[in-house]
Amino acid sequence: MRTGILFLISFFLWSCSVEPTPLLYGKDACHACKMTLMDKKFGAEVVTSKGKVYKFDDMNCMINFLNSGTVQEENIAYRLVIDFANPEKFIDAKDAHYVKSDKIRSPMASEIAAFSKKEDLDASNKEWKGILLSWGELVAEFK
Amino acid sequence: MSSNQLSLGYWLQASRFRLQACSLKLEACDQNFRLNKCFYFIFTILSLFNTISFARTIKIGAKESIRTIKQGIRIAKSGDTLLIKSGIYREGNIVIEKSITIIGENYPVMDGENKYEIFTIHANGITIKGMKFINTGIASMTDLAAVKVLDSKNVHILNNIFRNTFFGIHFSNSSQSWIENNDLESSVEAEHQIANGIHMWKCEHITINNNRIKGHRDGIYFEFVTSSLITNNYSEGNLRYGLHFMFSHNDEYRNNTFINNGAGVAVMYTKNVKMIGNTFKHNWGSSAYGLLLKDIRDSEVRDNIYDENTVGIHLEGVSRTNFDNNQFMKNGYAVRLQASCDDNTFTKNNFTGNTFDIATNGNTVLNTINGNYWDKYEGYDLNKDGIGDVPFHPVSMYAMIVERVPPAVLLWRSFLVFLMDRAEKAVPAATPENLKDMSPYMKPNGLHSARK
Repeated sequence: MRTGILFLISFFLWSCSVEPTPLLYGKDACHACKMTLMDKKFGAEVVTSKGKVYKFDDMNCMINFLNSGTVQEENIAYRLVIDFANPEKFIDAKDAHYVKSDKIRSPMASEIAAFSKKEDLDASNKEWKGILLSWGELVAEFK
Repeated sequence: MSSNQLSLGYWLQASRFRLQACSLKLEACDQNFRLNKCFYFIFTILSLFNTISFARTIKIGAKESIRTIKQGIRIAKSGDTLLIKSGIYREGNIVIEKSITIIGENYPVMDGENKYEIFTIHANGITIKGMKFINTGIASMTDLAAVKVLDSKNVHILNNIFRNTFFGIHFSNSSQSWIENNDLESSVEAEHQIANGIHMWKCEHITINNNRIKGHRDGIYFEFVTSSLITNNYSEGNLRYGLHFMFSHNDEYRNNTFINNGAGVAVMYTKNVKMIGNTFKHNWGSSAYGLLLKDIRDSEVRDNIYDENTVGIHLEGVSRTNFDNNQFMKNGYAVRLQASCDDNTFTKNNFTGNTFDIATNGNTVLNTINGNYWDKYEGYDLNKDGIGDVPFHPVSMYAMIVERVPPAVLLWRSFLVFLMDRAEKAVPAATPENLKDMSPYMKPNGLHSARK
């Protein structure tokens, strides 16, 4: 009986937790552009403090959504982007290193790739010769 | 040879005139000697000309003197034809930078051995015809293709077969090219192992006609492609979209069939597109559409058939677009019209056997819906002019509820919902009052003769 109650309580607690959910490539659709996610090197996610998850296929879809004010700045729990060097792996959008180059073929033509490690970025950017950006600069660029 | 002789005769005639002019100027000279010299001079020029303009055909095959395609390309000059005898060719990546024609006899097999890109084309005026491409390499960082065309013009890819290729045909920065009668099919389960069938990036004036594409990521993919034509293609069972269209203005797609694709057809961020006479069939799934239109303006959607799709057409941010003469049959939603759309007109469409004819998420009505046939219309036509006497409201109340609370669709076709819909018809409260067809047709509109 007691374990049952405990189980129930833990179930409710679990269901209320605010956690990022992995992007299901080939199944999930981008919240902004409605395209089915396909390219595992690109992707982003916003989780609100109430636990609602918004998924995106490209940086510009995510930033336009953030700038649109649909969700207030203070109600956002997570802003996550996919690490270009480690497909399907989330990193915090504010800590990521960004590069923009017309050689980067992202799903919505933002031409932006995100990296968790600066070394990975430098290795890829040798070929791209793109410009480096920080999160703040990115958000400002789309305003 | 006869054409050779003909041209020789022509040149001789022409040279006679020139000789006359020549001899007039040089009266002082010995005319006979002069004439002879002139004649020989022109003759040598002519014979030189012959060796340049008459292209050779180089035969390649196991029994020919030239065994490999690479060797054939090395000795070929611009304008030559490479005739490839049937057989299997494993030569890795072949780069073509001369204007040559490659013709396969009985579909010679080009095997990429799951490692290589097969043809990389970088020259104007290349034709690839009658070849079979199999097993290209798979890579996540580079776009490996069976036939890749870079910065070229006037390229023809005709009558080829592609099996298990990563990208089938991949064009970038190219123009004035034709892709016709190709058959592309891949059979992998996971989407990361497969890319697009026909992929176009930054191209213009491209014709894609009569191809069959099956089992790719997107059947046909257009990004920054303008003034192009997509006709008579058959795109079936692709993992994502049958046709994917982004930032591609002034294009037309006509008489294509899109069946059973993961999410249907997507046309986005584009202006001035004509979508005529296409069939969108059986695109089922939670995020599947027959046709997804997002941020489109000044376009035309007519004479299309939408049959058994989760959503026939989903419109978001669409303006100044005409939807005429379309058939919506047996769809979950025939038309999902988001409030962000304005200035669109729907006329002469037939809505039959759809669960919801039109669904919307707002109350403002900025679109015109007039003169369509609705099988749910229950009014009379007492003056017998073929047009119903009272307006038809195509948005059912339950469609509004489902739009706000999607799980509510569980109760669809229950008695309670039936009662609510009846009550709503008598006293409209939830549905947008102005979204109505003022002159609903009593009989379905015949398919327009433009559909051929």
